[in-house]
Amino acid sequence: MAIAKAERLMNLALCLLGTRRPLSKRELRESIEAYLEAGTDDSFNRMFERDKEDLRELGLVIETVENLDGEIGYLARRDSNRLPPITLDAEEAAALGLAAKVWQQARLAGAASGALQKLRAAGLPEDVDPYEAHGALEPRIPVHEAAFEPLMLACRDRRPVVFDYRKASAAQPEPRNVEPWALECWRGHWYLAGFDRDRGAERVFRLSRITGRVRARGGRFTAPVPDVVTVRETVASWAGERADRTALIRLRTGAGYPLRSRATKVREAGEGWDELEIPYGHGLDAWLVEFGPDVVVLEPAELRADVVERLRAVAKG
Amino acid sequence: MAGKPVRPANAIDQTRRMLSLVTYLRERPGARIEDVARAFGITEDELVSDLDVLPMCGTSFRGGDLLDIDTDGERIWWHNPAALGADAAEPLRLAADEATALLVAARAVATLPGLREGDRQALLRATAKVETSAGEAAGASSRLSVTFESEGGVFADVDRAISERRRLWVRYYSPARDELTEREIDPIRLVSVGHTYVEAWCRRSEARRTFRLDRVAEIKVLDEPSAPPEVELRDLSEALVQPAAEDPEVVVEVGPGGRWVAEYYPHDSAEELDDGGLRITLRTPDPASLRRLALRLGRDGRIVSPAELADSARRAAREALAAYDGAGGTHGADGTHGADGAPGADGTGGDGGTGTGGSPGPVGAGTSPAERPERDGPDDGGGGGAHDRRERTR
Repeated sequence: MAIAKAERLMNLALCLLGTRRPLSKRELRESIEAYLEAGTDDSFNRMFERDKEDLRELGLVIETVENLDGEIGYLARRDSNRLPPITLDAEEAAALGLAAKVWQQARLAGAASGALQKLRAAGLPEDVDPYEAHGALEPRIPVHEAAFEPLMLACRDRRPVVFDYRKASAAQPEPRNVEPWALECWRGHWYLAGFDRDRGAERVFRLSRITGRVRARGGRFTAPVPDVVTVRETVASWAGERADRTALIRLRTGAGYPLRSRATKVREAGEGWDELEIPYGHGLDAWLVEFGPDVVVLEPAELRADVVERLRAVAKG
Repeated sequence: MAGKPVRPANAIDQTRRMLSLVTYLRERPGARIEDVARAFGITEDELVSDLDVLPMCGTSFRGGDLLDIDTDGERIWWHNPAALGADAAEPLRLAADEATALLVAARAVATLPGLREGDRQALLRATAKVETSAGEAAGASSRLSVTFESEGGVFADVDRAISERRRLWVRYYSPARDELTEREIDPIRLVSVGHTYVEAWCRRSEARRTFRLDRVAEIKVLDEPSAPPEVELRDLSEALVQPAAEDPEVVVEVGPGGRWVAEYYPHDSAEELDDGGLRITLRTPDPASLRRLALRLGRDGRIVSPAELADSARRAAREALAAYDGAGGTHGADGTHGADGAPGADGTGGDGGTGTGGSPGPVGAGTSPAERPERDGPDDGGGGGAHDRRERTR
């Protein structure tokens, strides 16, 4: 039976951490059973390169050193791999215990547990069970979008990407060349902010509208990355949260509680109707139509026309 | 690497766990399996599978350098802790992904409105210490961020009721019926998944229900003790409401401008149509609640079946239009837009304006997070009243 990958990685890690002098590939191959069984030099080399990358992913700093004979050697120095001292009290430990359970995405969930385990090994207090301490609170970060992981890595490593993106009402997706800056989750949905190379400007993308695979491109970023990337403000303005005008509507008594609760003025209009002033931002027409015959738009004329037109489309249905 | 297929995370996760385990066990000869599993947040089976691998590991597979670790099923013994050398089992520094995962989550929870101040302070202190300890590895964590929405005041009351085991009275808005109802509930837990919800036993319907905090119009902590029946806690991460097989089926056809429906409503299938639209089949216990969706879609889509639902949307639209015919004179809004390209659900979204690479769809004209209550939109993925449906047991 082939030797399990975790066993092979563990052995490579222990060899690199345990040595005081760089070990050559040849020495490593002779020390690790899985490498001896690897067969050809080619397959060993491929396996070794992959394993080194995997160990770097989990945080190992592996140095490459050339010895006097020109042979390459590898080692993971204690100094560069030791966790700097960190002392956390029981409350802080419980807080991190809660945080470590928040990710729903496999890679980050694994990384969060890994972080907590490293801190445990370094003496993180255990006497408080995080579940007990925080009672019945369960925060969860949902990640349903397939594009998340490749984009997260591209943001981390500052690598340009290309993906097919379907704009909100476009029939077909089109390719976008993007230098990805940051990802943000708002109301359970993920958004990407970055520099769109073809448009020569910053753009925000909703991950669920990315179709197909996210592919990494060679080369570096060409545009400067802003110090602060604010995805949320952009998305919130799409969502109509930047209301800069006011609308006047009639609302049937007892109906439309959410409209009432954000109204700036309410007065009784008689005959079972109230008159309300409400903030008017992007998307208000679609929302008002949902209330059907319980809402009548009075002003402005533009909003009234939009609502009437939407209603006509449904009436014709 | 970007674009690479997702690797199975197991080998990497297990390796990093075993590296920490070695450090941990070295300090604790005879550690109990159940204690170690709890400390590491893994099952005892997972721990035992690690203990099967560790004796195959060492600095060389020759000459007795392998780790001599074994267990009697209750305790773990390491017979040659010197095998790794004096300092070869020290705690390892955090990787970039590890620091990011922990810090982003901790920051997100710390900003949850309504969180107890003591918990918030502990999170912030811990975050600062982890940042310092992680050093450079913490750098990339600023490239991910998460905001949980919550209603601070309601959250705090629910939190208090849970810890003091007391019943709550709420006035709750149900978007499906556009009405406020009063009920007494025994809270079980608070769940934040984008929005924050309280799962509770509803005394009025004698069933488990999920309430979104920003739809709670009023709340009071009552003196009566809370006594929710023992219920099995479900995993709420996928969708707060899973339609049941016996729920009636609804078929909606949308154009390109209505594709958001598939993003917000759990559905059985979404077939691509030739015009760039979708034919979406979903199930809901209460099809009438989808009248709002039909009205909202306008020219971007229509209900295909059931016919009664499509009819009721048409009737509602005609009834609404009648009001405009009557009052049309003073406001003269009729027909100014004609038939030419009305704004879709996204209107000005898309690619114009200030940095919009695509609009987020009708997240809706929601209120700002500080305000209460947010409008119902398709943004809750549950089709409004579906959150307030009967729990099904099977």
